[in-house]
Amino acid sequence: MTKSIISGGVYLPTLRIKRDEYLSALGSCSAAMREKTVMDIDEDVITMAVAAARDALADLDVSRVGVLTLASTNFPYQEKALAGTLVEALGLDKHVLTSQHGNSTIAGTEALLAALGLLEQTEQQYALVVVSDAPTSGPDVDMEHGFGAAACAFVLAKDEPGLAFEGVYAQSGETMGLRYRLPGETDIRDIGVKAFATLDYNEMVKAAVTGLVSKLNRNLADYRHIVMHQADAKTAAALAKKMGCSDVQTKEGSVFADTGDIGACSSLLGLCRVLESAASGDCLLISSYGSGSGSQALSFRLQAPLKNSGSFQARLEDKKYIGYIQYLKQKRSI
Amino acid sequence: MGAHISIPMYQRAVPQRYRLVGQRCGACGKINFPPKAVCKYCYQGTSFEDVQLSGRGTVYSYTVIAGGGAPPEFAAEARCKGSYPVIIVELAEGPRVIAQMVNPPEEGIAIGMPVKAVFRKIYEEEGVIRYGFKFSPA
Ligand SMILES: [Zn+2]
Repeated sequence: MTKSIISGGVYLPTLRIKRDEYLSALGSCSAAMREKTVMDIDEDVITMAVAAARDALADLDVSRVGVLTLASTNFPYQEKALAGTLVEALGLDKHVLTSQHGNSTIAGTEALLAALGLLEQTEQQYALVVVSDAPTSGPDVDMEHGFGAAACAFVLAKDEPGLAFEGVYAQSGETMGLRYRLPGETDIRDIGVKAFATLDYNEMVKAAVTGLVSKLNRNLADYRHIVMHQADAKTAAALAKKMGCSDVQTKEGSVFADTGDIGACSSLLGLCRVLESAASGDCLLISSYGSGSGSQALSFRLQAPLKNSGSFQARLEDKKYIGYIQYLKQKRSI
Repeated sequence: MGAHISIPMYQRAVPQRYRLVGQRCGACGKINFPPKAVCKYCYQGTSFEDVQLSGRGTVYSYTVIAGGGAPPEFAAEARCKGSYPVIIVELAEGPRVIAQMVNPPEEGIAIGMPVKAVFRKIYEEEGVIRYGFKFSPA
């Protein structure tokens, strides 16, 4: 059975804050985005998830969805799965198979892989994957400066032309002290040794990507687009270059400058962006990364352009800027 | 004063609050939203068929709630925004509903402007998030 992504969906919050706002309010900004997406006070990862899923499901028969997988590092409840909320909001079949993935920014590709597996267990034609994330911390934590918000959704189908899944390769292992949050705490912690964090990212992602390419008997040059996990743009770009990717291959899949760090969504939103211009026959590679948990690299080949690849560009252009004081109000920090 | 809605009561209305499920009257064919026991148009129909509404409509009327006028469940939102707009929407299928508006245009809300339903947090009570619909410019 061939499994393909046949439809995509995107949601970006309308509110944005420019990096310049941080510079004028705090005198510095630890992240190198141009601007980032900010959830409104009545938004959370579930409202963003519903919007992205509706975008992906437009024009499809929702009663044929047999699988729903969800991912986020920032679900609104620590105990209570949110699949039921989505089933009701989207009007999905009540017998849908569900799984929810969290705790790490690697959760997005985990949800996609889980959907590929669960699709074998349903008589239905489609699986819906929804990845929605808004990493959160108190504003006094440096890492918070880069935290944005976004959601994307994909419909996977059995034996239909689209973006065919070709394979996956993973690298997993223990790395201590990078980006973690204790139960009941709102702040993200990190031992704060940048060189150590970069080394882990480089080793994990490189192993997953090169492993995948060799498993499929390809070269990196065979890929039109290579989308990296972008916790910060510089580290991702430097590693891509070191692995031998050209700027042309990585440029279109970069989203960090416009959204900031969007956690589990990072490379999957990049995938939505490249799908807007990808052509039949193009090979696409995406790699995820979760601090302390490794990397997963996935390979796809576009058989036929998607009728609906999601409204990335429209969402990107629909924006309203806020200042730093309003930003703190949105975050209920003041 | 707030209008307390118990969790079981909110729960029963989940299909209408989360995705705008309305009812088509078996007697006169008009669409009731929110669902009613007896059709509000013909006062006779008591059997209905569920219909999924499009979520599209136009602004029939609007008002702006100033910070101090907000009921307690919306106080946090009013504090954040200063004020927030509430609109009556005439849905494409006919019924009129009242809801908040998100991302109102800078030039102000206009009667007749097209809107579409969006899924948002309405408020939180007892630690339980009450999700539902608001409208944004279409
Ligand atoms: Zn009637």
